[in-house]
Amino acid sequence: MSSTTDTVAAAGTPGPVPLAKPPAATRERPARAAKSPAPGKSQSAQRGPTADCTADIAGGLTFDVRLPEGTEPGQDPGLLLRLRPGPSGETETVRLPLAPVEDGAPLITLRAALPSTMPLSEGRWNVFLALDDQEPRRLAPGINDLRSLVDRTPREGRTWLGVRIPYATKHGNLSVRAWLRWPHAEAGSLRVMDGGLVLCGRLYGAEIVPSARLEARPRRGEAESVFAEVAAEGADFTAVLPYPQLADHQLWDLWLRPGEGEKPIRIARILDDVPDKKRIFTYPAQRIEPLPEQRSGPNSATTGPVATATPYYTLNNDLAVRIDREPEAGDLVD
Amino acid sequence: MHISFLIHNGYAIGGTVRTTYNLARSLAEQHDVEVVSVFRSRDRPVFDPGPGVRLRYLVDTRGGAAAESLGAEHTRPAQVFPAADGKYPMYSALTDRLIGEHLGGTDADVVVGTRPGLNTHLARQTRRGPVRLGQEHLTLATHSRRLKLVLRGVYPRLDGLTTVTEADAADYRKLFRLPGVRIEAVPNSVPAPDVIPSDGTSKWVVAAGRLAPAKRYDLLIRSFAKVVAERPDWRLRIYGGGRERPKLRKLIDQLGLYNHIFLMGPTHPIEPEWAKGSIAAVTSSLESFGMTIVEAMRCGLPVVATDCPHGPGEIIRSGVDGRLVPMGDEDAVAGALLGLINDDELRRRMGQAALADAERFDPSHVGAHYESLMRDLMSRGSRGLHRTRGSLLGGAYAVKDAIKGTTAGFGALQGGRTA
Repeated sequence: MSSTTDTVAAAGTPGPVPLAKPPAATRERPARAAKSPAPGKSQSAQRGPTADCTADIAGGLTFDVRLPEGTEPGQDPGLLLRLRPGPSGETETVRLPLAPVEDGAPLITLRAALPSTMPLSEGRWNVFLALDDQEPRRLAPGINDLRSLVDRTPREGRTWLGVRIPYATKHGNLSVRAWLRWPHAEAGSLRVMDGGLVLCGRLYGAEIVPSARLEARPRRGEAESVFAEVAAEGADFTAVLPYPQLADHQLWDLWLRPGEGEKPIRIARILDDVPDKKRIFTYPAQRIEPLPEQRSGPNSATTGPVATATPYYTLNNDLAVRIDREPEAGDLVD
Repeated sequence: MHISFLIHNGYAIGGTVRTTYNLARSLAEQHDVEVVSVFRSRDRPVFDPGPGVRLRYLVDTRGGAAAESLGAEHTRPAQVFPAADGKYPMYSALTDRLIGEHLGGTDADVVVGTRPGLNTHLARQTRRGPVRLGQEHLTLATHSRRLKLVLRGVYPRLDGLTTVTEADAADYRKLFRLPGVRIEAVPNSVPAPDVIPSDGTSKWVVAAGRLAPAKRYDLLIRSFAKVVAERPDWRLRIYGGGRERPKLRKLIDQLGLYNHIFLMGPTHPIEPEWAKGSIAAVTSSLESFGMTIVEAMRCGLPVVATDCPHGPGEIIRSGVDGRLVPMGDEDAVAGALLGLINDDELRRRMGQAALADAERFDPSHVGAHYESLMRDLMSRGSRGLHRTRGSLLGGAYAVKDAIKGTTAGFGALQGGRTA
């Protein structure tokens, strides 16, 4: 079924998918404009089209679009996935054909499949319904059955890892978060202890050799990375990241170098059903005991009142460590 | 029948809203059903009232407008809506009048109130003719003394009063003098979920509800520490938001359970989240009904619940479709969870039983129960006589109570039923 799907990269370039007017995907807005009928006026409970999403174990998604009463599916109904433009303004659109589901329900249901074999660029994709002669309409989320994504183990023998998690935006629209990574280092349990962080994870798509290192890389500035040894058992790895060495910079991104001279792999947590880890997977802050030579450093975080280190997930669900001078500052940084 | 529900805010999230819509939707299959919402806080209702259910409102509060913007009338305090109802600050002379006009002119056969303050409106302002049915979604035991006194005075003018548990109905019969008022327990309804039930194989315990002190999530977290000590491969998700969140977060971190217990935040719809679990946990100190217990059961999860007043004991058959444990007992909660965690076959069997047993809460059954209750009340014909008598008696008792200052019955109830 993937053969019938088209991918159009970079909006603006003519593609095989006729999009009369691409929907503005840069800003979220409620699916329906607010109206203010006179008080006491009867209001129908009718809503716009919604889509139920079901995830399969391999990473594929099925969209069941329920059309509102009185809506005809038309000639060639399609589901559009539109990547929210990045800083460059580039976007992508994927069109999936919709076919009626025959289950005698009172309302018409159309189904589209996003096969696990079809790559989707990393980012947030807004989901639209495209019917004949109509401007694509943003879909509202229905029931997202993502149980097969919970504690997901990716299939062996792939050459890339695709993760897509449908979710409701804060404005009540349907979007899909996608990751496309290979190799991939999945963060597992983190244990905060005196002076450092014990990180357990699993590597997919590369081999860990004895020279492997965990690399903490300062997000800004020219400072040196901090490295830690990695113990591995098959694809599972464990590393202890010492906190005192991190005291001089605020944000550190964590990478895994599977071996000497190998390309580092970003450590992330994406193999489950939670689209945004940041507020759910949180970890205690730990006080940093500074190294002796850091005690007098001019820009040292430890010259402040108290420095703490807190592991956290970024908005992209990548693993990082934040150094705060005041434990209660708690600013949301990414 | 033309049935008209009166609700505080049908556009908001809440147990009463959801259960009212479940019932309205079911009744609308056969009857003409409307829901009148006193307030409208959103453009669209969060929960779908259902096909055929008309939703309308009396006062538009969208945009959080100041009371003045709705006119001087809205700045004057309510006289009909009782000050003892917790929502009193939102009500006004304006709502008194608009609700009064609605109830005084309604062409409904049955009007249904969904909270004490609105039941009071029903009792005092409904025109002669329609059946006046009050619903109690909380419990008599948890109402303030002041509210009990008010209700004692006005409820005799109702035709019927429904509670969500037998225990609460018994309290009303015992402690209120309501001659001629039919008091009946009708449980909340929960529809079959739109997801396939859990197969009981995941290693997740799920809980859901407001993060409020009465839910005792602190107890659940401490209990789960004991579970993790024995079964570190099992984890817990707690869905819901609320002011206890920072405290619970701290407790999780103190116990070092941040790899095992997750505060998931508010989630709607919740059914797909239940289906990701294999066991549900409810450790409340108070559940006037226990919607989440039924929801979880309808998703095929056996529920471990504290035997708190009033709901859980009337929903769960302990040892058959779930487990009831004494209130506040960490070890008992952990023991019951581990009993199900360590026995796959037992867990599967109880999940199946939960699925079968929770079917009795289907809106079709609950709707039929309400329908027959409404028909009975309608067939009693003109209730003018008994109502007058009832209201006189009720009024007399209320006066007597007010004079006495205390009533033994209320005092005994104040602390709730102890398990």
